[in-house]
Amino acid sequence: MLFLLVIITCLILQFFLPWWIVGVVAFLFASWVAKSGLQAFGSSFLALFILWVLMGLIHSVPNNHLLANRVGQMFMLPEQNFNWAILLLGTGLIGGLAAGFSGLAGFYCRQIFNKRR
Amino acid sequence: MKSIFKAIFTLILALSLFVLLNTKLGSVPPIAKFLDPFHGFWKNAECKKRPGTEKLQLDELRGKVEIQFDEQMIPHIFAENNHDLYYAQGYITAKDRLWQLDFQTRFAGGRLSEVIGPKAIHIDSYQRRMGMVYGAENTLLEMEKDPEIKEIMHAYTAGINAYIHSLKPEDYPIEFKILDYQPEDWKPINSALLLKLMSATLTADSDQFYMSNALSKYGADAVKELFPDYPFREDPIIPKGTKWNFKALETPKQPLIASGKSVCNQPTKQIEEGIGSNNWALAGTKTASGYPMLANDPHLDLTLPSIWYQIQMASNDVNAYGVSIPGAPGIVIGFNRNVAWGVTNVGANVMDWYRIKFKDNSQREYWYNNKWNPLKPRIEEIAVRGGKTILDTVYYTHHGPIVYLNSQKPKELAKCYNIPAGHALRWIAHDPSNDIRTFYMLNRAKNYTDYREALSHYTAPAQNFIFASIDNDIAITSSGYLPLKWNDQGKFLLDGSDPANDWHGRIPADQNPTVKNPPRNFVSSANQRPTDATYPYYLNWDFATYERAHRINTRLSVMTHANVDSLRSLQNDNYSFLAADILPTLLSVVDVKTLNDTESKGIELLRKWNRCFDADAIAASIFEIWQKDIGVKTWSDKFDDPNILMRYPSRDKLVELLLKEPNSKWFDNSRTSQKETRDDVIRAAYKFAIDSLERKYGAMSDDWKWGNVKHTHVPHLAQITGFGSKFLNNGGSKSSVNATSEKNGPSWRMIVALGKVVKAYGVFPGGESGNPGSFYYDDMVDTWSNGKLNELVYLQSKDEKSERIISKWELSKE
Repeated sequence: MLFLLVIITCLILQFFLPWWIVGVVAFLFASWVAKSGLQAFGSSFLALFILWVLMGLIHSVPNNHLLANRVGQMFMLPEQNFNWAILLLGTGLIGGLAAGFSGLAGFYCRQIFNKRR
Repeated sequence: MKSIFKAIFTLILALSLFVLLNTKLGSVPPIAKFLDPFHGFWKNAECKKRPGTEKLQLDELRGKVEIQFDEQMIPHIFAENNHDLYYAQGYITAKDRLWQLDFQTRFAGGRLSEVIGPKAIHIDSYQRRMGMVYGAENTLLEMEKDPEIKEIMHAYTAGINAYIHSLKPEDYPIEFKILDYQPEDWKPINSALLLKLMSATLTADSDQFYMSNALSKYGADAVKELFPDYPFREDPIIPKGTKWNFKALETPKQPLIASGKSVCNQPTKQIEEGIGSNNWALAGTKTASGYPMLANDPHLDLTLPSIWYQIQMASNDVNAYGVSIPGAPGIVIGFNRNVAWGVTNVGANVMDWYRIKFKDNSQREYWYNNKWNPLKPRIEEIAVRGGKTILDTVYYTHHGPIVYLNSQKPKELAKCYNIPAGHALRWIAHDPSNDIRTFYMLNRAKNYTDYREALSHYTAPAQNFIFASIDNDIAITSSGYLPLKWNDQGKFLLDGSDPANDWHGRIPADQNPTVKNPPRNFVSSANQRPTDATYPYYLNWDFATYERAHRINTRLSVMTHANVDSLRSLQNDNYSFLAADILPTLLSVVDVKTLNDTESKGIELLRKWNRCFDADAIAASIFEIWQKDIGVKTWSDKFDDPNILMRYPSRDKLVELLLKEPNSKWFDNSRTSQKETRDDVIRAAYKFAIDSLERKYGAMSDDWKWGNVKHTHVPHLAQITGFGSKFLNNGGSKSSVNATSEKNGPSWRMIVALGKVVKAYGVFPGGESGNPGSFYYDDMVDTWSNGKLNELVYLQSKDEKSERIISKWELSKE
């Protein structure tokens, strides 16, 4: 549930808003539906990991990964034709971590109110 | 309590993560912003084809414009009027090269620190203090006085800005995302700055400072011997014996004491021969078609995005094709139905340094013409990203700016080594000029008269404009503002207090070296000395050596029934007259008995070598290192002085000594106790050549081949790793017509065959697009590296059908 909410909302909002909106989305939805810290982190992480990897692929496949292979070299990778895959993994990881920790923060913030009640 | 702690902790963690991922750290871009596939770099990955017709609505257009794209995505613009033509040129140039436009302008105008921070302060300050902005302002004023040029400048500017305003941040070129900044609006002064940058590239390698130092160390006789005013071997642009059909102005008088000495403790920078441009034109009698042909390959430090931008531009009064400088309206090198033209650099002395005597330490007044004169301060504001804005005051004399006072010269900046502190700079790039007019008129030229009229407006950087027309005229002119000087004026630093040392106006434009339809039926240039000794004016004492020019002239003089392939083979000619001239002597000196196996094998290869710097020639690698080291071994002890900056004598001088004066004292290394002769130097240098190849590439193998040793590649403009070209295995040398070296070479190769229907061929080492994520970023590199050319798509009108046109834009107001 959390996974679907985050991935669909981010997919829509990211067309209009800067990248940090993924943090707000993960935070809010995790505070609303997450059942545990692990789930809050895991589902948010997975949602953004998959969203960013897929979106990256949509841009990079028709490009024969020309650009990503070059950018890989900029990030100190050797000249090789699978830099794009490493970069894509990195992209997913960064997006995932950002969403994951936001989700976690969302869940724990909600916990404060739950305990008090 | 624990839960509150957890909440606060994770919240802080998440927030700091977001701040971290959104911040530029050193040279690493804001990482999440950069990787975000919705806005970051992935968005810059382009797909291959954009077939079909696209419609664009642009409010400022006056009529309809059609842009057709060929298979290399080269735009062919058809407009109904000139306003729209240059507007469309600006728009399409911005679409393909926006970051290059921005970055080169910032570089030229000393505004890099605004985007890359404190590390660019020295280079920014250098550009400001050299008067780049001052010169651009003067030039802009001059251009704005010319209504036609003003209109196209403003249309071009509006076109660039229309494109910029159509962008959302995710559409910005990738370099903006890497360096994390935004494009700003284009201004007409930017075009002027880019023209000044060309002047800086082609005329600012002055060596007066080094020459004065050599003069004070070795005296006038030695300097006269080693740095002569006329070369040992020559083959001038204007054929020897051509008559000058004008009455020359009187040469200004040389004052008694003209030069001064300067000393400064910075490492020596050896003058590197940077340019190797060629052009030639053949009369119809020498070509297969009976119509003239023209070839040009301007050499520059190669970069990606490409230095040039190919374009066809047609409106009611023009239909020209060629290459433009991104940022300047019009076509610089190209052709139309009736004429073709091209350029090589002249290398005339248009930059001089004047020693300034200040009244006192406040440095507000300087001595000139027997009185104290006020210095004019000009304040340069250098904004610095992540730092405080710097106010840099530059003092101007009537000569020009005092570039550095002693304390101001930054040791870290190699570019400023050749600048004598406490001297004022007189430089043609500071003068008002309207060079765009020359190109505007050349684009529209129909015949020789139009060509001459166009050149009369040209100032800088002085170029050898070559020309051919359909009515069988060929011509070449060393064109530009060439100051009227006494002999050797500016060979050394000048005393800034004596009016006799000032420039004395200019050589009249119609007396610049020129020749039309010479008896030999071809004209050519390769940066060599423009004239023989009969020309009545002084231009400079040192020009490119004769080898390339001589090869071109030797081959052209016997060429008949020339076609595109014969001219193309000459552009790619790797033969070296340097090798032909000195190798027999070098080989005769080497004592084969003292050689080891590898050294003997090298000699064998050199004996069999055809003197061509081909990619697979091992002998070429050995010869190149050998001849270079002969120069180092001969001159290093004399001219590499850690305390006094000097330059080496020219290659021509060394050749003369090698061939004519084996016992010259100059071969003796003063750092050793024994006395060395030419033969000792040659032998030691040969051992060094083999040894250095062995050290770098191991035992003799394919790795020793010249293509591998030379290692040509095209780096990115901002040196971003991965954004340059791959290693290119090709031939060429500085003494060959194909003057390709590691990062320098033919930035555009063009051959035009005039005729009832003009046909043209061309290629540059890059592509039309400036986007490293485009298929058209470097799609011409292999063609270039293999010495091939593309047939250029020159459309007679917008309705001419060509199979090579793959897509189309229709631009209009509605």
